[in-house]
Amino acid sequence: MVRRVTIKKKQWFTDDIFGLEIYLPDIDPQPGQFFQVRVSTTYDPFLNRPISVASYKGGRLLMIIRVLGRGTKMLSQKEAGEDLQVLGPFGKGLRVKKKKSLLIAGGIGVAPLLFLAQKMHGKRIEFDFVYGVKREKDLIKKSHILQIAKHAIFVTEQGRSKMTVLGALDMLDVESYDIAYACGPKIMLIELQKLNLPIPVYAFCEDFLGCGCGLCLGCAIMYKGEYKRICEDGPVFELKGIEFN
Amino acid sequence: MIKLFGTTFKNRVFIASGVFDFGLKYKKVSNRVGAIFTKGITLEPRKGNAPPRIFETAGGLINWVGLENPGVEKFCKDILPKMKKLRTKIFVNVAGSEVIHYERIVERIGGQVDGFELNISCPNVKKGGVAFGQDPKIAASVVARARTKTKLPLIVKLTPNFCDPLRIAKACIGAGADGISLINTLYGMVYDIKRKKPLITGGLSGPAIKPFALYCVNRLRGLGVPIIGMGGIMTGQDAYEFLLAGASAVAIGSAILRDPYAPLEIIKELKKYPPPPSSPFKGED
Repeated sequence: MVRRVTIKKKQWFTDDIFGLEIYLPDIDPQPGQFFQVRVSTTYDPFLNRPISVASYKGGRLLMIIRVLGRGTKMLSQKEAGEDLQVLGPFGKGLRVKKKKSLLIAGGIGVAPLLFLAQKMHGKRIEFDFVYGVKREKDLIKKSHILQIAKHAIFVTEQGRSKMTVLGALDMLDVESYDIAYACGPKIMLIELQKLNLPIPVYAFCEDFLGCGCGLCLGCAIMYKGEYKRICEDGPVFELKGIEFN
Repeated sequence: MIKLFGTTFKNRVFIASGVFDFGLKYKKVSNRVGAIFTKGITLEPRKGNAPPRIFETAGGLINWVGLENPGVEKFCKDILPKMKKLRTKIFVNVAGSEVIHYERIVERIGGQVDGFELNISCPNVKKGGVAFGQDPKIAASVVARARTKTKLPLIVKLTPNFCDPLRIAKACIGAGADGISLINTLYGMVYDIKRKKPLITGGLSGPAIKPFALYCVNRLRGLGVPIIGMGGIMTGQDAYEFLLAGASAVAIGSAILRDPYAPLEIIKELKKYPPPPSSPFKGED
């Protein structure tokens, strides 16, 4: 069912990453879940945009979005006080495990991991956070991450550290963790898979979605030899089972 | 309530094949539409096409799902028993890469459903499918052979992909089809300008194709069998336009991708319009 809500708060984190906060008190979203956000009440753009939950507290739901195309550009032009139509939450939520965890974020992939971190922090689960971006100014929520993670490493491909998020993993004793969660561009996930880390790694996947709720079979991902729906069977999959095309 | 091909439907708003899986997730919607057309069922299971499977275009989208489905055996064993509990009419969309597949699927399912929709117009599979719907002789033979296996309503799904659906429809009706549904998606593609190669080739749907869909329905009116009109229906007004163009019922497709509850809104909106002019079609009361 389409929910019509009001944007409570809009903020720019960088020149192309912004946050929209809405009030949805009657839900219990889990990490990995997302909303289908209506871009336009006309039919162009036609499809909703899948946006993950970046934070949920006291009914206030934050979505952090990067302007990548026409749809996200139009969403970025919305302001506090304006209406927003959303459907969801969709996707299989992740059950947070009481295990020493490593969170690996690349670029805007940080958004759903921020929510995972929030949940872990709430359950007093120890975790470290590795977060890489292209440019220094792309880093968002740095002080928040420093507050809730046991250790946090921030790297930039350009600028001071000249290191990718995967390069940063070399600085860590990966075996000391029980589990890892990763979200970032597809190329990052592909490279991470090649590292064949000695612990289970769960990847938060993204794609263009059709319906977002398991009906149209438009968002296929090859997982353990068969096509799965990113929206309904995921979006979180064990990384080693994914066959990237 | 309307009666078409001897079957009573609670209303004229149906759900098109391919956008609602098997109607088991949003049962509140399934139970209130006139009929559900299942995802295309093939003789053997099909994994579907490699991604990307969908791409948004102006006022719609292109899909290249490729008839992913569990095959007729698993459908009959695992899915159909659950579907039969829905309070709506079930039409199985039948797809095949060979002419003989259609009759075999119809025969296997038998009398467990309310009817069949022979999909001879899906542009997303390489073999069979759309090619059968472009040739009146082959189309008629698919229908005639399926006809020998069932007394249930047989609807043929057509689309004007490099053919005149009027010619195909006449041939199908001559071979025993009880109704025509149209239009299926239209051939479309998107280019990747960086790689200088097609990004996706598949079936175009959504409001972008509605005017063409209406034209096609209107072109087929008066053939003597009910038409189920579809193609970019988003509102009750859109649905009513199809009824005015000669459709006895409409099917909702892409609108569901924006909102799975869209058919309920369309049913509600359609009630605001006067009944369509009395229909001369055989089989409609």
